[in-house]
Order: sequence, then structure tokens, then C-alpha cells
Amino acid sequence: MVKIRERYKLTQAQKMMVFILSMSLYGLSNMITELIPEARLGPLEFSVEYFAFIPLTLCILFHPLYAAIGASLGEIIFGELMLGQFGGFGELEKFIAFSLAMYVAGTFVRDPKNKRQVGIAAMLGVIIHQAISSMVDILKVWVGVEELEAVPGLAESVVVIEGFAFLNDVLFSGILFALLPTMYLVPRLYGKIEPLLGMKPRNTKDRYHLGEIIGPRLVVLGIFLAGFAFLFEFLSESGFNVEWEAEVGDIFIWISMGVAFCIALITVIFMNKRKQTLKEEKRIS
Amino acid sequence: MEFTRKFTDKLSVEQVKIELLNTAYGNGHTFLAQLDPRTLFIWYTFFGIVPWFIHQESILIGMFIFMVITTITAKVSPLIIFILCLGLLGQGGYMLIVAMFFGGDWSILLPLLVLTLKLSVISLASISVFCSMTPEKLSNGLLKIGVPGQVSFSIAYGYRMLPTLIEEYHHVFQSFRLRGKAPNKHGFLYIRSIIYFGKIAVLSFYPLLLSTSKRARTTVEALETKGSFYGFNHPQVKKLKLIDMKFGRKDIYFLIGSCFYVILLFTI
Repeated sequence: MVKIRERYKLTQAQKMMVFILSMSLYGLSNMITELIPEARLGPLEFSVEYFAFIPLTLCILFHPLYAAIGASLGEIIFGELMLGQFGGFGELEKFIAFSLAMYVAGTFVRDPKNKRQVGIAAMLGVIIHQAISSMVDILKVWVGVEELEAVPGLAESVVVIEGFAFLNDVLFSGILFALLPTMYLVPRLYGKIEPLLGMKPRNTKDRYHLGEIIGPRLVVLGIFLAGFAFLFEFLSESGFNVEWEAEVGDIFIWISMGVAFCIALITVIFMNKRKQTLKEEKRIS
Repeated sequence: MEFTRKFTDKLSVEQVKIELLNTAYGNGHTFLAQLDPRTLFIWYTFFGIVPWFIHQESILIGMFIFMVITTITAKVSPLIIFILCLGLLGQGGYMLIVAMFFGGDWSILLPLLVLTLKLSVISLASISVFCSMTPEKLSNGLLKIGVPGQVSFSIAYGYRMLPTLIEEYHHVFQSFRLRGKAPNKHGFLYIRSIIYFGKIAVLSFYPLLLSTSKRARTTVEALETKGSFYGFNHPQVKKLKLIDMKFGRKDIYFLIGSCFYVILLFTI
């Protein structure tokens, strides 16, 4: 048991190194992608959404949790805060979605020299992230517009727009700026970059602890389910109170706010707990 | 593409750095900047969430006016406002066109306008709050409300390191260009040049990955010798660091005033 887990016995300092590395590099790349103009061809949008290959590469080579959290924080600090575009609560959703996607992609790869595994992981990461964020965008319109079903065409158009954006991002940004560079970089950097941080390269034979793999996937599933649940509840509720008068409206406001808050809170607590248990496990082993 | 070229000509590395420092430290003397970060967080918690669940136009319009006033007093740079407006209008217009395609009519315009109004209330609230906080203030505020010390360290580190990183990336990028061969023809719609530059932009990260990892190690070792990891989450260190954060009279007036305004809106 001890031998299997040896790779994850990172010291506090090494975790911080991975974190800082991932944060500063992904932050830098974010600043660059913000400056690149986008070309639009009707509904087709050729824009560089992000340089996803940086967090993907780091998640595959190092401990995925710290690399993923570092990258998300880097995006918020460099790409939003420093450019004066900080979105407040919207960033929380981005933070969770992106860290989860990268983490899952990182845990997927067992052998960094195997290009097929790396490629699949890269696409998996991009797809998970884009799926979560487009679902959140659809939800936003759903919550924001009263009686969506009563407005002809709007519901379909939102879904179509988001679906199109999803395909666009996955096929364009995903292949050009996640799949190809990751497949190029990971085998080249493997074994070279780890000594610079004072650690051994990861052993190709070791596997992630079963709990570590199941955990994040469960969280992803949970968020999807929670999103759907929220959506359906909202639909059924808004079917009942058509008019927005006095008390009913007020109560409803608080109910929906409470639901949103609970989902956010549960996710945060869950992730926190996971982090702590992981830490403790490492300390014990 | 011509436009892009002019744009990139103007955009030198120096200018980016100056612009960054400007957004960070440019407006420390406005009314919102003098408030305690916690006040701003509380204020933002309300105006960032509640508008989602309000569907009465009159309340939303009232909130919007309030946001416009705070944004003006916060002296947000016009460029950011311009980008925001462009984004909001573009998204709304796009939705309108697609919805028309699916058999909608002009009745869709009203809900879309309400949605845009909501979005602009929320984004103006966040812009006016977060643009009027300096990085130190923000990180202190976050530390106070219980965000781990690593986060506030990262904010400080980001502001300190980014100019260096940009410069280094620029150097690597230029040396790739020096050693490589640019395509002879631009190709259809500049496609060849775009591919060439895109490839370099990605490849430049390879040396940067290695050098940044060295730098990360140096940073962490320096932090260790100073005992920073002990200090990050130690309650006494925190207390000493945040000793000068206090709710002032202005904070109370601001919160009460906002409360009154919102209550007034709901009762009308």
C-alpha cells in the first residue's frame, strides 16, 4: 500500500510549487487569449477560448488537484481581476467547473507517454468543462426570464445557441489548443520538468486511489443532477404562480434563492471535505 | 485583419503593463474605495444574487439607476464599460435573431430586454465593487472572511510576477520568430500567417514551462525560510495583519442608505 501511494506523498512545499507554477502559467496564457481578437463567420465563431493545454499538461504530469485549483485561481486573478473584469459570483461557477474538468482529465491518464490516453484525457477535460458551463448559461436564461415557455422561440433559441457554442468550442478550441499541444508537450516534458521542482517523475505503473477517481466524477454527476433538478423545479413552480403578486412572489424568491445557495454550499463543503480527507490520508500514509 | 494589425502595433508590452497597474491602483480615492472591504462584500452579495429572482421591471430599473450612480462614483475606466455594453447587446441581439428564426415575433423583445437589464445590474455591481478595491484591500478582505491565506498570497504574487512573465514570454516568442521562417504569402484570409503565429504562441510555452517551474521552486523555498506557510493560516498572525480593518461611519451610512433604497423600491 505504501509503495503505491509513494508518489502522492508530496510535501506542503511541493504542493505549493505545483500550485504556483500552474497558476502563473495559466494566468499568463489567459491574458494572451484575452488579447487575441476573435473572428466571427455568422453563427460560427473562431475564437481562442483558452489555452487549455497548460493546465491539462500540468494535471497529467503532477498532482491533478493542486494543478487544477492553481489554474482556476490563476484564471480568476490574472485573466479577470487584473483586467478589471471580475465577475463576482459568476467566477465561482467557473472555478468549480474548470477545476473539476481538469482534475478528472488528470486522473484519467496513467501513463504520460501513452499518447492515446493523453489525447482522450485532453478531450475529456474540455468536454466536461464546456458541458457544465453551457448548462449553467442555459440555466441563467431560464432563471432570468419569467415564464420562458410563454415566449415563442426563446427557449429553443437558447438551447440551440448554447449547443452550437459547445460544439464550436470543443471542436475548434478543443482540438487546436487542447488536444494537439497536450499530445506534443506531455511526452516531451515527462521526466524533464519534475526534477526542476525537486520531485521524481510519476511512476507509469501506479494508479490513483479508487476513491480519488470516483470522488470527482460523482461530484460532476451531482452537479449535473442538481442543475437538472433546479431547472425542473423552477419550471413546475413557475407554472403554478403565473402572477407575481405580494406574498406568493416573495416566498418564491426566497425558496429559489435558498435552493441555489444550498447547491453552492453543498458543493463547496464537499470539495473542502475531500481536500481535508485527502490531506489526512497523505499525512497518515 | 488590417484592423488587427493596427491594434497589435499599438499594443506594446510596456503599454500592457502600464494599463494593468492603472486598473489596479488607479482609483484609490473614490467613495467606494474608502469603505471597508467587508461592507463591499455584503453589498455585492445582495446585488449580485437578488436581481436574478426579480421580474418586476420597475424594481429592476430602480436598481439599474442605483448601479449607474455607483459605477460613475467609482470612476471605472470607459474601456471596461464599453466592453461590457458590447457584450450585453451582442448577446441579446443574437438571441433575438435566432428566436425570430424559430418563429418568435416582436413580443420576445420585452423579456429579452428585462434579461439584459438584470445582467447589466449584476455586472455593474461587480465592476463598481471590484474595480474600487486595490489588490491589498481585496486580499485582506478575503483573508478576513476566511478564505485561505494561499489565495491572498496568490493575488499579491500575481501582481508582482505578471510583468516579468509577460516580458519573458515576449522574449521567447520573438526568438522563435527570429530563428524560424515566416510564410512567404499570407494565404487566403491570412490563414497561413495565423497558423504560423498560433503555432509559435503554443510552442513558446515549452521553454516557459521549464523556466517557470524553476522560479516556482525558488519562490517556495524563499517562502519556507521566512516561515510563511506557518503564518498563512495561523489565527494570531492573521489578527496582527488585519488589525487596522474596521467598520467606519461611512460603511454604516452606505449600508443603511442602500437598504432604504431597496425597501423603497419594493414598496412602490
